[in-house]
Amino acid sequence: MMEISIDLNGAGRKVEVGLDESLLRLLRRLGCLSVRYGSSTGETGAAAVLVDGDLVSAEVMLAVQADGHRVETLESLDPGTAELHPIQQAFVETGALQGGYSAGAMVLATKALLERRPDPSDEEIRDALSGILDRETGYVKVLEAVRRAAALLHGEKPPPLAPLVLEPLTTSPTTRRGDLDGEESVSPAAPRLVPSVDVPPMAVVGKPERKVDALRMVKGHEAFADDVELRGLLHAKILRSPYAHARIRSIDDSAARALPGVHAVLHYGNTARVKYASGGQSWPNPKPYDQVSFDDKVRHVGDRVAAVAAESPEIAEEACRLLKVTYDVLPPVLSAKEAIAPGAPVVHDEPDTEGIYDASRNLSHHIEGQTVPDDELAEAFARADRIFEETFSVQAVQHCPIEPHVAVGWLDGDERLVIRTSNQVPFHTRRMLSPLLALPVKSIRVIKPRIGGGFGSKQEMVIEDVVGHLVLATGRPVRLELTREEEFVSTRRRHSQTLTFRTGVSSDGKLVAQDLSVLADTGAYGTHGFTVQSLTGQRGLSQYNCPAKRFRCDVAYTNRPVAGAFRGYGAPQALFALESHLDDIARQLGIDPVELRRRNWVRSGDPLDIVPRLGERGAVEEVRPEDIPRIGSCGLAECVAQGLVAIGWERRGDPSWSRPPGRPSIRRGIGMGLAMQGSGIPLVDMGAASIKMNDDGSFNLLAGAADIGTGADTALAQIAAEVLGVTPADIVVYSGDTDVTPFDVGAYASSTTYVSGMAVKKAAEAARERIVARAARLLGVEDACEIHLRDHHAVGADGRSISLEKIALNALHTEDQEQIIGTASHVSPDSPAPFAAQFAEVEVDVETGQVTVEKVVTAVDCGVAVNPLGASGQVEGAVAQALGYALTEELVLDDHGRPLNARFGPYWILRSDDAPPQEVILVETMEPSGPFGAKSVGEVAIDSVAPAVRNAVLDATGVAIDELPLTPERVWRALQTSSAGDADV
Amino acid sequence: MLVPASLDELLASVAADTRADLIAGGTDLMVEVNFGRRSPESVISVALVPELKSWYRSGDEVILNAALTYSEMMRPPLCELLPALAQAARTVGSPQIRNAGTIGGNLATASPAGDTLPVLAALEATVVLESAEGGRAVPVGEFIVSVKRTSLAPGEIIRSVRVPARRAAQEFLKVGTRNAMVIAVCSVALVADAERREVHLGLGSVGPVPLRAPRAEELATSLFDWDEGVPRASEKELARLAELASEAARPIDDHRSTARYRRHAVGVCARRAFERARLPDATGRRSVTP
Repeated sequence: MMEISIDLNGAGRKVEVGLDESLLRLLRRLGCLSVRYGSSTGETGAAAVLVDGDLVSAEVMLAVQADGHRVETLESLDPGTAELHPIQQAFVETGALQGGYSAGAMVLATKALLERRPDPSDEEIRDALSGILDRETGYVKVLEAVRRAAALLHGEKPPPLAPLVLEPLTTSPTTRRGDLDGEESVSPAAPRLVPSVDVPPMAVVGKPERKVDALRMVKGHEAFADDVELRGLLHAKILRSPYAHARIRSIDDSAARALPGVHAVLHYGNTARVKYASGGQSWPNPKPYDQVSFDDKVRHVGDRVAAVAAESPEIAEEACRLLKVTYDVLPPVLSAKEAIAPGAPVVHDEPDTEGIYDASRNLSHHIEGQTVPDDELAEAFARADRIFEETFSVQAVQHCPIEPHVAVGWLDGDERLVIRTSNQVPFHTRRMLSPLLALPVKSIRVIKPRIGGGFGSKQEMVIEDVVGHLVLATGRPVRLELTREEEFVSTRRRHSQTLTFRTGVSSDGKLVAQDLSVLADTGAYGTHGFTVQSLTGQRGLSQYNCPAKRFRCDVAYTNRPVAGAFRGYGAPQALFALESHLDDIARQLGIDPVELRRRNWVRSGDPLDIVPRLGERGAVEEVRPEDIPRIGSCGLAECVAQGLVAIGWERRGDPSWSRPPGRPSIRRGIGMGLAMQGSGIPLVDMGAASIKMNDDGSFNLLAGAADIGTGADTALAQIAAEVLGVTPADIVVYSGDTDVTPFDVGAYASSTTYVSGMAVKKAAEAARERIVARAARLLGVEDACEIHLRDHHAVGADGRSISLEKIALNALHTEDQEQIIGTASHVSPDSPAPFAAQFAEVEVDVETGQVTVEKVVTAVDCGVAVNPLGASGQVEGAVAQALGYALTEELVLDDHGRPLNARFGPYWILRSDDAPPQEVILVETMEPSGPFGAKSVGEVAIDSVAPAVRNAVLDATGVAIDELPLTPERVWRALQTSSAGDADV
Repeated sequence: MLVPASLDELLASVAADTRADLIAGGTDLMVEVNFGRRSPESVISVALVPELKSWYRSGDEVILNAALTYSEMMRPPLCELLPALAQAARTVGSPQIRNAGTIGGNLATASPAGDTLPVLAALEATVVLESAEGGRAVPVGEFIVSVKRTSLAPGEIIRSVRVPARRAAQEFLKVGTRNAMVIAVCSVALVADAERREVHLGLGSVGPVPLRAPRAEELATSLFDWDEGVPRASEKELARLAELASEAARPIDDHRSTARYRRHAVGVCARRAFERARLPDATGRRSVTP
């Protein structure tokens, strides 16, 4: 230990620090919660602070190095009042915070920049923020926040960010809805909005809204799972397998146990063997149940071997090193193709796993679905004028939430287990923990606090059972935070797939037969293997009409990291293949790619006939006509029309544009892709909420839904406020706590706004019914139906009104007392599709193969966007994530299954200085089954960025590349191998 | 951890514990510490050693002290004296890393991908080493002996780096550049020295150590118009230059790219660096490069 003196946020401090203590750990120990762990290498920037005014990464600085220096964290801006610093204000007003995990670092980077450069250029802003990775926003609104902060600091009063209203292009121009009038912004961060006449005027829904949890993030208050302090806290570490495939012959834990400060060492030898599937899904979880908390076999590098709880992370790590594990190393299978070949090593040879399709052939699942029998499909192909067949392959990518998986568990005063965790599915997790820990559900409480990004990786019980076991073993609070390396290899990733499309087309460009076969790699465990790949089939065979469709899929176990849910959930794979395939077909038929799509895309009323054959619960045996869902609201044609204008599609084929003069190695191109997703799983996903009224006419909204940084809590507050005639600020939202809130399946399948939002609407309506009845009595109105709630009042037909506060006081204290409360659940029989048309403009350097994306346009029909700022932020973030899929991201393993790039830098995700400009167009439709017309927006925009980029490269160079990511080398090789006549180089 | 406050104290500390690691910005060493690959028990911080900070001119040389940060390399007037070094520093990580990382650290780590190293190679920099016994100067090409290995002797520290500050065209190029979502696979630094009338090329990430490309340099030297300060080459000559640069590379296959691509790309970068090279006029002004 050593004493150092630092000036921390303006106050001199003398503190004892460990010689190996990082500045990050010191600052968190001193209560600066805004400084957060993102990696051990300084590359996420979540732990960036100012030292003597310069931004540095606190996790790669020793605390002792700060001796004698001035250290500033976000907390330095907290004036102790409700007032925000102009930079904080700018981040809140622009919607620049989604998860907000790195809010502190971003605000500090902005402060350092603006102190040096009060009027920074966009390039300077991008550079200043380039070391703070944001997986959520696509940086569009972050850059706007910095520009706005500069303006605010100059004393300017910039107008609020409001959508720029566009006239529709495919329907006759209509008078603009009155409630959209107001100040409009042409800022790139403001969404464009094409309003629909079918949408009635509303007071709150459809208006840009600041996030209800913004203050917590922007001021660095307690927010995330790790932001709690517990007396006697132990730290957990997991010993990970160094082998891709091995049997554990024995574990000698005596030395580890003897190490002072070690409180528990758990492994297969001392933990009950209870089989489970880790995917967070509705009961009963899809099979196979092929996992146990600690197994005597390891199936991928990074698989669990043992877990330790100790007084410090260092002691826990040392104990892991002291565990003597004897392995029988087995040959691994490292690709799906090898895995299903005869004689391949068997990944799951244990006798007690139920529900594997064919364990001996490493097939976790086999999926089939078709709209016509095989012979009819063959006839359809026989009738086709042209048949095209093409094989695509897509890689494994990781979610990379900047907040890693982290959970803290403890026993409460009643000795019930409480787990506060970064998790998208708190209710599923509670239920799934119960058998593993041999505790009844009633003895477990799972709390989902703010989440710094999930994207599906936290729709899974990855660490909670370990924390639970260790809490029960020690009786002490236990904290487990994964390192970035563990996040890459020991959580989940997107399924890699090989997809073959065979498509029959008539001479007039109509699809007559589609056959999609897929080989997918689920890694070491099955978890979401069935449902993700089923969705690959649904998404690959739904957005174009075709009379004969077939889907076949093998899902293979391998000794690779485990695949799971990831935003898009099988759709990005399917749509990379489908949308690339269509461009290639269009090129060979000599039809414009937009026109080919237009001749085939689905419209309102068209059947989604593959869907019941590939449902969540498996194929429906006999499909009756009423089982086939149909397209409801559909703004696809308008999305395409708007997108074509915004991207400048007409420049395609203009040589003066595509071959810029003076830049001989550059080719330019524009490409597109279409996408559709669902809104929740029909008849499965259930959300519930309750709303109670307080003395002052405000409300508590208790929702089971899990806001994982998406802004769901804000949208839910808007929905409740719209019903109750108040503002979102009058709705106090608390969500995702199994002890306190009603049930909800959680954040997945784009269900929150559509399903949970409807539950909130119904709950609010139930509360409104009580309010209106009382108001009628107090106003002496006979028919309560005449009373409306607006502007915090109940207003009668004759204009007389009474405030909600008076109604609340009357109800709680005065007469016929009651708690005005509404509770409701919602399940939808439908899953209305949001649509997106995505466009990319690229420059290809034909000498190096480097692809630079110059602009991305996404026109999306998400029904009514409840919060246009939040909805466009979701789109921008999805596009950013998809650009990584398209261009740089791939989790690479060596020949022994060891990760080669489990670290930011070698694994490159989009940074502020390589984020291309984006334009987001919200094409409004009125979805009658959704809350105030809403569908969903969380996933659809990740689906067709990669094919749009790939098709733009095709347009630029004439070279069709059927593999991702489009690294310079891959593009260069494709350019090399393409024949000179074919490639326009 | 020791925190000496002067060069003499530092040299005494290093002499007393020759196995200690030196920490400046920490951007490399702390990664090792955080990964448990190194213990920070015997670490000596150079943070408070004034002699290791900043830079100065000495005759026609610039002396870069070891704790000079990337951010400092990017500031005028140093960035005008050594534009390729400033360009290389700009491509480093992020503002946080640039504020903390140092030229001494980049040299000591001696990673094949070290960003400043091809620039130092092209500048024919001299690394000045010092120990309690005295100092010695080593050409950068001899200082870095193989992947992550240097000729630093026990008890020695990197004191500074000496580079010429003569009238020269300087370029630094990477595939890929920033702003383009590309993981860098190779880099090239070019120095066209007007006084010696020589073009030097430093190649990064295409060998165990930063490489020079003597045959390509010879050709580039002959193709440069030293009076006008601009390159003069036909398409064929440029192609030959790229080929010779590629031939000088000794790349390996790794997960980022194959040796074949690296070899190709380094040639493209070398040719482009040459095409862009413009000598500054007597006042130090450079004509705009495309």
